[in-house]
Amino acid sequence: MVSIVRSTTAAAFMLAAGVASANAEIKIGVLYPIAGTGAVYGTPAMYGHNMAVDEVNAAGGIMGQKVVSFARDTKLKPAAAAAAAKELITKEGVDVLVGGLSSAVGLAISEVARQEGVVYIATIPKTIQMTTKKLHKHVFRTSSHTDFEGDAIAQIVKKLGKKSVCDIQLDYAYGHDLAAGIEKGLAKHAPNVKKVIDLRSKLGATDYNAQITQILGSGCDVVTSGLWGSHFVNFAQQAKPFGLFDRVTYISGGEIASHEIAGKMGKDYPDNVISNSYELWYDHTFPGHKKFQADLAKRSGKKETAMWPVLAYIGVKFIEAAGNKAGTMDADKFAAALEGMTIKTPVGDRTIDPKTHQANTGQFWGPMVKKSGVDYRVMSPVTWYPATLD
Amino acid sequence: MDMLLSSPSFAFIQVLNSISLGMNLFIIAAGLSLIFGVLRVINFAHGVFYMFGAYIMYTVSKDLQLGFFTGVIAAAVGLSVIAIIVERGLFQWLYDKEHLLQLLLTFAIVLIMGDMAKIIWGTDQLSVSYPEGLGGASNVGFTFYPTYRLMLCVVGPLIFFGLWFLIERTRWGRLTRAATQDMEMLSALGINVPIIYVTIFVIGSALAGVGGSLAAPINSPTPGMDATIIVECFVIVIIGGLGSLWGTFVGALIYGFVFNFGSVIVPNWQDVFAFLLLMAVLLIRPWGLFGKPEQEGH
Repeated sequence: MVSIVRSTTAAAFMLAAGVASANAEIKIGVLYPIAGTGAVYGTPAMYGHNMAVDEVNAAGGIMGQKVVSFARDTKLKPAAAAAAAKELITKEGVDVLVGGLSSAVGLAISEVARQEGVVYIATIPKTIQMTTKKLHKHVFRTSSHTDFEGDAIAQIVKKLGKKSVCDIQLDYAYGHDLAAGIEKGLAKHAPNVKKVIDLRSKLGATDYNAQITQILGSGCDVVTSGLWGSHFVNFAQQAKPFGLFDRVTYISGGEIASHEIAGKMGKDYPDNVISNSYELWYDHTFPGHKKFQADLAKRSGKKETAMWPVLAYIGVKFIEAAGNKAGTMDADKFAAALEGMTIKTPVGDRTIDPKTHQANTGQFWGPMVKKSGVDYRVMSPVTWYPATLD
Repeated sequence: MDMLLSSPSFAFIQVLNSISLGMNLFIIAAGLSLIFGVLRVINFAHGVFYMFGAYIMYTVSKDLQLGFFTGVIAAAVGLSVIAIIVERGLFQWLYDKEHLLQLLLTFAIVLIMGDMAKIIWGTDQLSVSYPEGLGGASNVGFTFYPTYRLMLCVVGPLIFFGLWFLIERTRWGRLTRAATQDMEMLSALGINVPIIYVTIFVIGSALAGVGGSLAAPINSPTPGMDATIIVECFVIVIIGGLGSLWGTFVGALIYGFVFNFGSVIVPNWQDVFAFLLLMAVLLIRPWGLFGKPEQEGH
């Protein structure tokens, strides 16, 4: 008697499982640094990711199927990210990978995607190598890259009529690539500008006195930089008493104009800084931004929202569009659908170039100025630099 | 490199950079050395204590706007409380066990406190402002140099002198030195050895907190900062000699010079020089420049 009950129950479960797999879900493997040092980026990114997933599901999902995310922590380490990506593919059976933060992690996930034949959409990594040397048919990038960034910096150097440049970068893929991007941009836009000194700091460095004093000793009138996050905060705090920001203009990539940095630094944010951001909560240049920002503010519980969510959001939106267009999550057909795909985002339209798998992601650039009534600086004027290299 | 040779004021500034970096690190590493010297415990958690000091400074001086000096006091008090809890609650059960267990315990504290910091202060990029009046530059002869860093160059030796006086010239210091040589005999003489242990652990940890709070304007509180500092501290105390105050002081200065001049002369290898020096010390004179070879029967 018991064995009949047992086998009936077992059969019922198997039937249910069979039914469940018929109403299959679309599984997205999402990789961001959720804990540890990188959580300052990963946590807001997950807000944007989850917001997009909820929107997609509210609109009926992809191909009528519900979208489910499997989140893994990259710990900002390529080895950990690669292991997590592999686990998502082999154990969870995800249909597509999205995310990544640091350039090194992006390259690592891309390699796993290549080996396993699963599409990976890199939403934040910026190293140019991902869409040139290390490009393969299953990797796509919706963030900007170091050639665009370097080109914009060079344009600004030219616009300001600067004559001599000190460049300071972090000693890893992103820093090297940005330095190269700036050189290319300067050669194109401002060939008469002299590069006086190339400085390097290691990733995670905390002391910049040697570099600061070399900049001051070299006599350059502009500093181009790729110091992001805490690197910039420490550099700025250490450089201010030397009067560096009174002597040079500081043009930086690495999105230190984002509110994440400006908001927390408050009065400590230095003068004469020009930098970039993918998105600014207070700028509504593009249609749809106001609503996006309001929804994000409600979700994160803060009026001044962070910049990273929109990048994660865009990644999911591309997955939605490509999945619906291809009618399948088969990697090759899905990839083909992504090529040339255009979607609307809260920061303008985005199109993925079929050849390079790179989206035309521009950025906002501008000087960071004090604003009356609040502690933090804002970008003003805000200028949109589209992603072209012409 | 050519800047160093052609401009004396640039070279002088690099010397000041080296000294101020060294003094900043000495304040932090002194506590680690003190705790090892007496308790024979290598406290890996020294880095998270330092981190907590920096975060406490942020909360007190920037969040609550209670002033910079108040922040330093708060860091010292806060870390003292944490130290008492850790020492009485955890460490005291391990003094007679093998060293490995103590190391593992400090590792556990690193992980736990690291996550606690994230829960309490979040993962945002924070910054701590310079105290009023110390955020500018002072005239040091033929150039200007950041006042705050000059202040650290004064505080470092003050702390060194304070610790030296405490250990070499007070009765309590004598008892502490006796405890490092023969704990059992001291106990047999009726001295309350546990109190000495707690006090040393508290002082060492409070120093870590003070170091973190003083460093906060130039080393902003950020998750993972404990990992960087503990490596730097270890390099310093191993080069200088574990347990030797003079060794830590000189080791910190050596590190400051090696790192700073290394950054200027061969920037891509900034880290390497300090570690090459560490390797040389470990191979040639493993007890450090000012340390003593480990004695039997301790």
